[in-house]
Amino acid sequence: MKMKKKSVSEWVKSGDPWVWLNAGAVAISVIMVVGLLLLIAVRGLGHFWPADVVEAKYALPGETEYNIVAERVESVEVPAAQLREAGIAIPDQHQLMQRTLMKTGNRDVYGSDFRWVIDEYLTDTKRPEMLFTAERREWGNLYGYLKAVKEDGKIVSETTDLTPTDSAMATWNAFEKSIERAAVLFDEIHEIEKKDIGKINYALERIRLEQRRLELENKLTPAAAADLAAERGQYDEEYKGLQQSLIDLYAKINRDTFVVQVMDGSVHEMPVAKIVHAYRANAMNVPQKMSFYFTKVWEFLSDEPREANTEGGVFPAIFGTVMMVLLMTVLVTPFGVVAAVYLREYASQGWVTRTIRIAVNNLAGVPSIVYGVFGLGFFIYFLGSGIDQAFFPEALPSPTFGTGGLMWASITLALLTVPVVIVATEEGLSRIPRNVREGSLALGATKFETLWRVVLPMASPAIMTGVILAVARAAGEVAPLMLVGVVKLAPSLPLDGNYPYIHLDQKFMHLGFHIYDVGFQSPNVEAARPLVYATALLLVVVIALLNLSAVTIRNHLREKYKSLEM
Amino acid sequence: MSDVKTHSIDISAMQRSQQALRIEDETVCLSVNDLHLYYGEKEALKGVNMIIPEKKVTAFIGPSGCGKSTLLRCFNRMNDLVDGCRITGELNLRDENIYAKGTDVAELRRRVGMVFQKPNPFPKSIYENVAYGLRIQGINKKRLLDETVEWALRSAALWDEVKDRLHESALGMSGGQQQRLVIARTVAVKPEVLLLDEPASALDPISTLKIEELIHELKNEFTIAIVTHNMQQAARVSDYTAFMYMGDLIEFGDTNTLFTNPSKQQTEDYITGRYG
Repeated sequence: MKMKKKSVSEWVKSGDPWVWLNAGAVAISVIMVVGLLLLIAVRGLGHFWPADVVEAKYALPGETEYNIVAERVESVEVPAAQLREAGIAIPDQHQLMQRTLMKTGNRDVYGSDFRWVIDEYLTDTKRPEMLFTAERREWGNLYGYLKAVKEDGKIVSETTDLTPTDSAMATWNAFEKSIERAAVLFDEIHEIEKKDIGKINYALERIRLEQRRLELENKLTPAAAADLAAERGQYDEEYKGLQQSLIDLYAKINRDTFVVQVMDGSVHEMPVAKIVHAYRANAMNVPQKMSFYFTKVWEFLSDEPREANTEGGVFPAIFGTVMMVLLMTVLVTPFGVVAAVYLREYASQGWVTRTIRIAVNNLAGVPSIVYGVFGLGFFIYFLGSGIDQAFFPEALPSPTFGTGGLMWASITLALLTVPVVIVATEEGLSRIPRNVREGSLALGATKFETLWRVVLPMASPAIMTGVILAVARAAGEVAPLMLVGVVKLAPSLPLDGNYPYIHLDQKFMHLGFHIYDVGFQSPNVEAARPLVYATALLLVVVIALLNLSAVTIRNHLREKYKSLEM
Repeated sequence: MSDVKTHSIDISAMQRSQQALRIEDETVCLSVNDLHLYYGEKEALKGVNMIIPEKKVTAFIGPSGCGKSTLLRCFNRMNDLVDGCRITGELNLRDENIYAKGTDVAELRRRVGMVFQKPNPFPKSIYENVAYGLRIQGINKKRLLDETVEWALRSAALWDEVKDRLHESALGMSGGQQQRLVIARTVAVKPEVLLLDEPASALDPISTLKIEELIHELKNEFTIAIVTHNMQQAARVSDYTAFMYMGDLIEFGDTNTLFTNPSKQQTEDYITGRYG
């Protein structure tokens, strides 16, 4: 016993427990971070996998049996007592029961996409090959058996079989062909509506503003008015042409319909134009599923959102996030560097400078929502409406810069991150050896030339470190953005083909806000949940990429200005 | 090594030819009149009077903290960078008082170049280091830059070593090469005076010898003032020597006389190693 005690105290003395404590803390941090990433990766990426669709009979004790067709989403164990309380007559011998969330889709038919079933009472489960899943532009997924495909109301192909017989396959092939045709037409319509008509609307709005401006300046001569009217007439003409081709395209796209039998046996006829994808997950092998999976991932990255953001892609949000961060970087870097240079190089190092430095450091700790409120109050309501009155009186009363937008959001975030850049830059400047500065001054360079040609280049890796920290902070910020320009759905990207190409006054989408919106503000939370994980993962990846590029630049600069070891 | 020996013979031969120097015969390049310098309350230079003769090497010796580097840094107003530094008295470059109001300090520093104790090349290429001072003056013509860079590197006896890697980083050179690069960088702007602040104290003996040899070459074109801790070095390279102690200029005269027959007891004590 004595021996053991001694060895413990020796062990403590040796310092090993301290090492274990430190290593343990590191290990726990790493496990938590990796666990978090794994969780969102698994949950988010799993969403795009084409899940099998099961068909089964389901009957709760004492209730009538019905047919269920659905994807399994998740299973949980619940105490039987809880189910009994919910009014389900569970026999007494059960303690715990497996309950599964089934995605039945067909919201237009049943009213909801999801239902819970108790596994115990599912019988006769099978995975029929002809059961198909259709992603639609509205009303969520559709599950059912294809019965017929029609053109202009006339049946092209039909089948009564629920197994992959020749007739069933022929109908399926006709269906796929019809979907492909509709997709091409849909792209054309989309192109015209978004791009061409968007351009005309933009031009018409410009003419309206021009006219209003001339009116306000009392310069609207009849000649000018006639010019504008002529121009407007030209665009109206163009618009009419596009309208006509749209009508034709809509007529074409609405030609085809299909007939589907859903799980309760009822039969519905729907337009093919509403389908995005249709696939028979039960009949796909792994490579097919893989290729489908990657198509879906790509769609997620490159498409616009559908159905109140719960379906489709997040491209506008990625674009908005990246654009906002880049703009923020462009604003914050020169501002922070100039401020740091003054504080470190020009200001006399007295108590005033010290106070300012402490204040700057403390600014980094102000909660971000406070910056949002400041941005709203000062930038938008004060500066923005001032700008509107001075430069855009023709657009009033609708605000141009007097409302949240890309520029104000970037400036607000720049303000939020400027302390980080100042602190890092000051740190960098203070590390430049004195004798290098003296070397430059002794050659007849002024202080400014020395700063510009020698000191700042040598401090650039430190400046980049500040920028990296700023980007990391800004890209993850959501709270202030909600006040200064982020919206759940922006009609167009802030960068497009219409002059002046980059629209700083426009509202934009942001991945962080998208997560919040999809997860907590959407009408169909169950359907949106996987997208929350997927978007969260994407946000992490985007921030990592932004940081990685900044780190690459910094390493390059470090290599170039390897500090003089003296 | 044989190369080095030849050089040392050269140097001693040159020393022998320097015997009959008289300060009264020299043209005055820099003159110091009753110069006092204060760091805050502390008086670091206590009324220095002397001249730096044109196209000669003047060495400053003395124990640490005697004010020799401080005095050197007065010649190109490098002390302006020190907070709380105050100067009274007069310091003339030719006929201009360099501490007069309205002096263009940048222009003064171009005319009075300085090389520091530790080599301080910029983190740029060898070429850009030498061209730096010219670019500051707005000279950007490639031909002119090329010519001046080559001339400066030749003057600093560095051209043959670096002509094939002009565009590589200067930080990859050895310490001795870096110091000669700094000298080349300084002479590239064609200053009138070269101030050398212990230019060889951070270098190995061979590099030191090369620098000393270089000083002999450079004095044909520039007025040189050198601060050194090494009395042998002062004896080898300089024409005139000033001995300073505690902020006072104790003795100033031609190097031979000062080292062989000093007129002040303090000087003799110092050069014979009794203190310092």
